[in-house]
Amino acid sequence: MSKNGINLIILFLILIITQVIICNNICLFNVAVPIIFIYLIIRLPMTLNINYVLTISFIMGLIIDIFSNTQGMHALSCTIIAFVRKPLLKLYIPREEDITDGDVSIKSIGFASYFKYLLSIILIYCTCVFVVESFSLFNIYRLITQIISSSVISLIIILGIDRISNKQREKGL
Amino acid sequence: MLSCRRKHNFNYIKVNDLINFIIKYSRWFIFMLYVIISCVLLFNNNPYQHHIYLTSAGTITSSIYQITSNVSSYFHLYDINEDLQRHCLNLEVENIKLKEQIRLFQEMHPNDSISYNDDTNHFDYILAHVINNSISHTHNYLTINKGSNDGIKPEMGIIDQNGVVGIVNVVGENFSRVISLLNPDLRLSCKIKGYNNFGSLVWNAEDPTIAILEELPRHTIYKQGDSIVTSGFSSVFPEGIFVGTVISEHKGHNENFFTLKVKLSADLARLSTVKVIINNMKAELDSIEYKDNNKTIKL
Repeated sequence: MSKNGINLIILFLILIITQVIICNNICLFNVAVPIIFIYLIIRLPMTLNINYVLTISFIMGLIIDIFSNTQGMHALSCTIIAFVRKPLLKLYIPREEDITDGDVSIKSIGFASYFKYLLSIILIYCTCVFVVESFSLFNIYRLITQIISSSVISLIIILGIDRISNKQREKGL
Repeated sequence: MLSCRRKHNFNYIKVNDLINFIIKYSRWFIFMLYVIISCVLLFNNNPYQHHIYLTSAGTITSSIYQITSNVSSYFHLYDINEDLQRHCLNLEVENIKLKEQIRLFQEMHPNDSISYNDDTNHFDYILAHVINNSISHTHNYLTINKGSNDGIKPEMGIIDQNGVVGIVNVVGENFSRVISLLNPDLRLSCKIKGYNNFGSLVWNAEDPTIAILEELPRHTIYKQGDSIVTSGFSSVFPEGIFVGTVISEHKGHNENFFTLKVKLSADLARLSTVKVIINNMKAELDSIEYKDNNKTIKL
């Protein structure tokens, strides 16, 4: 537990720093912004009490908000995905015994289910963020392109991070 | 006696149920709490009321941005240098012209002892570096590395070598946050150079190089490529600071007013050194306007 915990804290710091320093400055074709820090919420063990998951996600969102001057936008979206995380996973894996150790990864649930799980979480997140952001100025075409392009680029980067961190974990074991 | 005990027992069971209920549905309570907190933050629309620790001008956030900007400030040096050279050349040409004019005027009025009222004394400038910048959101902000210790206050204007950049809104001790021109909360009073018809410039959250100049009177004359400058009506910017050039007419909602598309002269994607404008007359202006306001309310 403690080793896993330390790993998660390191991941937390690395993801926040990368998001704030690098990803927030990327704006591909003026629409697509990669959002990578939600990988931590995906990686938090399923056995962890949901109250802790909610708290960690909220704090993480708030930190990103403070850095990028978006009052409460990421905090709200993070809280929402932390809440729907477990029901979503149950949609794709009917039997809960498959994830006994609480660790959701390609290895434990298979690539297809994992990909679907990842895609739906990222899509929900991007939808929340961009809908909230466009409250003041509503432009449906821009909103849809923003959601889809940001989701795609985030998905690709998160799959890459997932591969790297899985390799690291195998080395550690 | 018996009934009393029963009653007590009953109450005890009720409280127990309540606690059980709260524990059972604690996830919902915590979820609602966090959603409410974020919504309170989210719908606090006035950017001047944001708390310093919830913005990028806070101590920890700004020191991290300071470290990264020490590295990233080298990236655009070539372009910035080019801009500065061009600006310098323009100033030199202008300087020569002005000197020539002064010489001419002196020849025409050799004995005039009345000095011209010098408008430029009203304004001072402080140099600052941009340490964080965003253009991808709907509401964009920048962070600069000067704060209240350097004499910066909210509602001071920010310009760079090419034109208007934004207005300071949250001030920390050593850092401040600036509302960028690319933020619909900022409306800038502007006019077409050479005419006195003014409108307000606002960003429509689409292209970071283009803004919209609204509410120009219908009879305004303009040509493509005309300069748009600040009107000087607010105490934030002096009159005649370059903002951008006219691209084309934009379809507006209102038939009585013109709406123009303006190409912004300042490249807000790569800002490095900016100037903070300090208006020495601001206190006086504000007090006069305040008195005026009070009078109208009394009447």
